[in-house]
Amino acid sequence: MHAEVAEGAREEVVSVWNDELEIHVQVAGSGPPLLFLHSAGGLRWGEFLDRLGEHYTIHAPQLPGTHPSDPHAIHKVDTFADLLLMYEELVRALGIAGAPVVAESFGGMIAVDLAAHFPALFSKLVLLAPAGLWLDDHPPTVFELTAAAPEEVPGYLFANPDSDIAKAFFALPDDPELIPGIVAALVWAQGCSGKFLWPIPDQGTAKRLHRVTAPTLIIFGSEDRVMPAIYGEEYARRIAGSRLEVIEGCGHIPQVEELDRTFELVMSFLEA
Amino acid sequence: MKVLYSGQAPYRYLPEDFAQRYDSVVTTPYLDLVEPANMQESLHSYVEELLLAARSGFDGVMVTEHSQTSYDLSPNPNLVAAILAHTTAVEGIDAAITVLGRSLGKSREPLRIAEEYAVLDTLSGGRLIAGLPVGLSYDANQNGGIPPIETRARYREGRALLEKAWSATEPFAWNGKYSRYPIVNIWPRPMQQPHPPFWIPGSGSPGTLAEILGHDEVFTYLSHFGPKLTGPRIFNRFWDMAEEMGRDRNPYRLAFMQVVCVGETDAEAEHLYGEHLQRHFRNSFGSVPMSGFSLPGYTDIRGVEAILRDHGDMGIAGRLREITFRELADTRAAIVGGLETVREQIIEFVKEFRIGNLLVMLHGGSMPHELARYNIGLFATEVLPHLRGIWDDEGWEHRWWPTGIGARTPAGSAAAV
Repeated sequence: MHAEVAEGAREEVVSVWNDELEIHVQVAGSGPPLLFLHSAGGLRWGEFLDRLGEHYTIHAPQLPGTHPSDPHAIHKVDTFADLLLMYEELVRALGIAGAPVVAESFGGMIAVDLAAHFPALFSKLVLLAPAGLWLDDHPPTVFELTAAAPEEVPGYLFANPDSDIAKAFFALPDDPELIPGIVAALVWAQGCSGKFLWPIPDQGTAKRLHRVTAPTLIIFGSEDRVMPAIYGEEYARRIAGSRLEVIEGCGHIPQVEELDRTFELVMSFLEA
Repeated sequence: MKVLYSGQAPYRYLPEDFAQRYDSVVTTPYLDLVEPANMQESLHSYVEELLLAARSGFDGVMVTEHSQTSYDLSPNPNLVAAILAHTTAVEGIDAAITVLGRSLGKSREPLRIAEEYAVLDTLSGGRLIAGLPVGLSYDANQNGGIPPIETRARYREGRALLEKAWSATEPFAWNGKYSRYPIVNIWPRPMQQPHPPFWIPGSGSPGTLAEILGHDEVFTYLSHFGPKLTGPRIFNRFWDMAEEMGRDRNPYRLAFMQVVCVGETDAEAEHLYGEHLQRHFRNSFGSVPMSGFSLPGYTDIRGVEAILRDHGDMGIAGRLREITFRELADTRAAIVGGLETVREQIIEFVKEFRIGNLLVMLHGGSMPHELARYNIGLFATEVLPHLRGIWDDEGWEHRWWPTGIGARTPAGSAAAV
């Protein structure tokens, strides 16, 4: 379950925030640029990004604090509002303003709020089970997931936690020496994201969504236990002209649990 | 040596199978489990036992903070500390009032902690020991809603504000990251100058110990995880680090909380306390989900990796939910026995690890009030006198003891009238 990076990826280190903060960006693939924003568990390069990289040059920044070179970089980001400005500076510094963004879960919450703040920043938005909204009658279980015992986590993230796909997702390396470092990095990544998700994963994004003008595809799994699929409807309702796709029998990570279907939906939207 | 009575306020009437069915913190259902009259009785007995200890010659009494738990009904320990401060002042009892303490990592109003502590120090005539805990993760982060990764930064800022609020000679503005005030000028200020002694509870991670030794304060360690296992690791780490940092070997730098159940004989002690003790551990810390001790971000990434590589500091923590009386006694999570056994085990442990302040917890879990009274009485008359002089031959000065003790103040005598 570790954050492997794409083979052949190169790392760009971008200085933002008046040179107070360095953000590490993994760049891989070929074709026009595309921004990818990872989930609360940190960047993890899987088959979805490999396939996407056959068509796009993926720029995947790592949330401050989640790159091994500087775990305490997160302490330089005081608020979600500051994080958005930092990411906006980053996108411009990378020279990819106007590119599409694909973002998962916590990353989706950042992407959509960036698009609300800076409506011209992205050409298109693909939101994979984005966090960021709160309905009292259907509370997300972001907090419960964060506090869950390790053995409970697969049941939150996958519709079918016993599947080979889920097992492969959580597999640890054979070398026991490597495991503590990997688990600590994953826990810390959750801590870093938690700064913006805790105690309630709602930074007021809902009231800004009317500002989003980029064409938007929203994908949810029908069996998502972290952000129930009703949030897909809520996002679709609030973002004018957006399109919602709900994948049946799928949990919180459609790009892993239903890779083919998700990839097909994403590609046909991006290429249209 | 200083010997203090350590109180905790459990609801005493939890069902037999509590640990199998519930967590003891955050999510424990109140209305299903609690009879209000029993709750009242639990709280009254808690206060009565603290007062009994103060009247029985303990050097101090201690209270702790935990919200939303069934094992410590103490969302703000200063409520009960105020009763203790006033009553002891009126009765002329020269005991330390120890609050271990209000959690600065959890609080959104650290200035209020500064104010409350100042009231307690003044009420008691300068007898407050001010505990400055970061706060347990489940309490600060789940109950308090503080993002785990901010807990320590909040602690540091809150502490800086508290110290400045106590020492500033002029009103000042505070523009912090977490607290902002146009004018800070609190009333009253602590009677003890420059401030009441700071005691810092912690689990003994190297980072925490370095900070405590750096500030020249008292490290307070609790026995719940089985000090037979964890004690040598933690205390030797503390003294090694003290040496590295050029600190002396003054035993009063260390405070240690130990559960003790004493009877006339070993057999009597096991018979009287065994069941209650087992329930105490199972239903309190034992029923805190392991994740509740460190939600992601609460412990620094290096600390998480260190614990994953070597969880020796956690002792029996992972087994507490099914722990047996025998294992508790063997790991010294509790010292249980007749007079001789208890004296011997305490003296051996205290001397081995140079502990200058012993906090004895003489009540736990379902233990009825009458049995707690028996335990307190027997300890005070038959054990305590044997512990007092332990460090006298080395001649250390206790630099972390309230200055109002042994120095009757006009306020103290006024209250006594």
